[in-house]
Amino acid sequence: MNIWIKDLSFSYPNFTLKVKDLSFEGEKITSIVGPNGAGKSTLLKCIGMINPVSKGSIFINGKDISEIKGTKRAQLIAYVPQEQTSIFNFSIIDFVLLGRTPYLNFLSKPSHKDIERAEEALRFVGIKNWKGRGILEISSGERRLVLIARTIVQEPEIFLLDEPTSFLDPKHEFEIMELIKNLSKKMGKTVILTLHNLELAVKYSDNLIFMKEGEIIGSGKTSDILNEDILEKVYDLKMKIVEIDGKKIILR
Amino acid sequence: MNGRLNKRKIAFIFIFFLPLFLGLISLLIGSYPIGIKDVIKTLLSIFSSNNEIPDVYRDIILKIRLPRIILALFVGASLSVSGASLQALFRNPLVNEYILGISSGAAFGASLSIVFFGKNFPVEISSFIFAFIAFFSVLLISKGTGSDIISLLLTGVIVSTFFTALLTLVEFLASPYSLQSLFFWLMGSLSVAGWREVGYSLPFMLAGILVLSLYGWRMNILSLGDEEARALGLNVKLEKIIIMLTTTLVTSSAISSAGIIGWIGLIIPHISRMIFGVENSVVIPASALIGASFLLIADDFSRGIASFEIPVGIFTSLIGIPFFIYFLKRSGKIWS
Amino acid sequence: MKIYKILILLFSLPFTIFCNPIELKDELGRRVKVPEKVERVISLQPEITRIIVSLGCGEKLVGNDYFMSKFDHIFYNVFPFGKKLPLVSISGSDLNLEFIIKLEPDIVFISPTDSWMADKIEKYSNIPVLALSSMGSFEKLKEEIKLISILTKKTQRAEELIFYFESKIRFIEERISKERKKPKVYLSFWSSFTKTPVYYEPVNLAGGINVAEGLLPSYKGTVGTVVNLEKIIKWNPDIILIHGNYPPEERAITVEKVLSDRRLSSIEAIRKRKVYYTFGFWFWWDPAEVLFETLYLSKIFHPSRFSQINLVKEGREIFSKFYHSENAFEILFKRLRCNEWKIE
Repeated sequence: MNIWIKDLSFSYPNFTLKVKDLSFEGEKITSIVGPNGAGKSTLLKCIGMINPVSKGSIFINGKDISEIKGTKRAQLIAYVPQEQTSIFNFSIIDFVLLGRTPYLNFLSKPSHKDIERAEEALRFVGIKNWKGRGILEISSGERRLVLIARTIVQEPEIFLLDEPTSFLDPKHEFEIMELIKNLSKKMGKTVILTLHNLELAVKYSDNLIFMKEGEIIGSGKTSDILNEDILEKVYDLKMKIVEIDGKKIILR
Repeated sequence: MNGRLNKRKIAFIFIFFLPLFLGLISLLIGSYPIGIKDVIKTLLSIFSSNNEIPDVYRDIILKIRLPRIILALFVGASLSVSGASLQALFRNPLVNEYILGISSGAAFGASLSIVFFGKNFPVEISSFIFAFIAFFSVLLISKGTGSDIISLLLTGVIVSTFFTALLTLVEFLASPYSLQSLFFWLMGSLSVAGWREVGYSLPFMLAGILVLSLYGWRMNILSLGDEEARALGLNVKLEKIIIMLTTTLVTSSAISSAGIIGWIGLIIPHISRMIFGVENSVVIPASALIGASFLLIADDFSRGIASFEIPVGIFTSLIGIPFFIYFLKRSGKIWS
Repeated sequence: MKIYKILILLFSLPFTIFCNPIELKDELGRRVKVPEKVERVISLQPEITRIIVSLGCGEKLVGNDYFMSKFDHIFYNVFPFGKKLPLVSISGSDLNLEFIIKLEPDIVFISPTDSWMADKIEKYSNIPVLALSSMGSFEKLKEEIKLISILTKKTQRAEELIFYFESKIRFIEERISKERKKPKVYLSFWSSFTKTPVYYEPVNLAGGINVAEGLLPSYKGTVGTVVNLEKIIKWNPDIILIHGNYPPEERAITVEKVLSDRRLSSIEAIRKRKVYYTFGFWFWWDPAEVLFETLYLSKIFHPSRFSQINLVKEGREIFSKFYHSENAFEILFKRLRCNEWKIE
């Protein structure tokens, strides 16, 4: 799997994202990192075609994704938003089943097979008793897990996760990142995420993409790209990289 | 949990047959006394002629009561289904056809038609066009203003007021005859229903109710918000337009045949969710069935209680509020 | 002065007289002090306007309502000066309070259906407002004529008209007194087949029975109520009368429509094809028109008793008497296409 972004340009009223030429390998965990307002979420949403792209193209295995129809695209790429604000208190199982929509005919409802898949996905993410509970009644950490379960039943090749660890305590942070690791290693999927937390990014990612003010500062394998110069350039802060027991730690 | 599911299944079967059951009972209600046996005989006489049945029974049961009952069922279902769909689409429990300007636009369109084209020209056409215009004005005007639901409601109130003002202008220009006609219609009444009136609006209401009921699952997705809906593969713009056109069609058909009957589009979907949960492929058809039964009961009161017509809107409130409170107390969490 | 006091005594029945000015109780139950004599009158109640004109004191009118100016069928014919009257209100909608005050009327007459007008005028001025209407009763109509004649000093003319009116009624009553069978009549008035007046004296005096009599009106100040089709079928009237004062091109309820409505086919009146137009209210009554209507109806209800009457001749005479107009009746006849009615 190869992802190539060329001459991408996307504007909000006060912000412009510009990516001239970016490519990276799939079936790995790729993290987009950078300070606030760098455009991480925007880039992620462009890859998922959630933002309609004004200029440029995104190629997946050589194919321009803007030419892929909605449902087929949803079968290829799944997106986990940072905040889930459903107004309805869907039951957990119904909520996960919403992820099967790309496979359903226009006016049909999920089948028994779909329900089985949903239950499997809930088990995979580690949600135990889901019966009788609605998504507005569970903790934000559990809700994150349910969201991931919903993307799993979408059976995509690519998972896009926007700040999956935000607002979570360290224990849940760890759980989610381990889950993401499983998605990539066990299920062989491509995972692209945006992360605020640099340490987590360094720990779990195979590839890193550094962004600042709407532009790509640098990208590549974590082991290759990570150095103190690029960190200073991106974060405007002098940091030191220290290796302890083979693990890289970043000190400020 | 299984207990709840089974209760829901039973409840759905109950409301599925309720409209038919209530319809048959409603055939017994009316100023002209006709006994049950005669009612049944008259109904059967549709299939095989029966000389025993006096013509007047046939006139009353088949030409007066039956069309009105059917109209009540369909108007109730239409308003409920449209309310439920709009609430899912706009992600807000307070939304209904009045707030979005559809009712005022439909009322203005119908009154324009009554006054300038006379009572013999079908009101539904003008009603739909202006309901459409009002609705899309609300969408266009509130679009660029950032914060969604508040600006939507404000714009809805403004557009509704505008069309109500136009309606007043129409009243001013009307001759005494059409003015009287207009007031009568605006009161909200099913009393004018004969087969001809029913015939014009029924196909649209039926089509709309079916489309929206089948659309329930995708409405779940749209209710998550545009981004997630797009992520799940929906053509959000197109599907929203389809739903909005259908709700406008269904609402304007209902309003043009029965006038403005408030309250139903707001509370029936809530009652439906309180019983069946929030999953829309169940809620939308359930709202249709509950709304149909509800309006029929209210209309039965409206025509059965006294020898003169009481506007049906009075009963939709009187009966609706206790029901609403009852279910409110017993429901779990529905909204965020 | 002696004559004046006798007239007061004779005519004062429902009106309570305290002193000058006179205090009256109007149709809405309001107590109103009216001046002993009025020179400047604003009438927003067409029935009162018509009475004023027939009494011959139309020059006292200083303001008019929209309905009278636009929709009355013969107003400008019987009272050409009426064209110059300024418009001060639109009944059912609004009135121009400043204009009314500027015109300095001694009294304003309104319809009981416009009670909001009384509130508005009284709130900002001292002008007496009187809500009057016949409410479908001849007794009340006559009282109105008497009251207005006292206020406008036209008591002699009022006597003349009332005498004429009563003698015509007596003429009818005498012929009907021998009649034992009275037809059941349903009146379809206003804009809907199911809207009907709960009291309409011409029907009673012409020897018929109004099937809706005794029902409650829809609200205070009106005489109409709404029934339903089943009720009408249950009543099974012998004759159905359709509101004919609406110009033919504007009628949504027509004789043809009623006769061809399949839901009503079992009603006696439909089967015997006894569905006719009658005048009905036209924002309450025109005294000449309603007198003529009573004759017209008596001929429909009891044709054998009135076979020798020439309605057209009677019509011309009645309108002449009230309005001193040679062709008012003709104009009305043409406007409403009465040649399609049963007027012989």
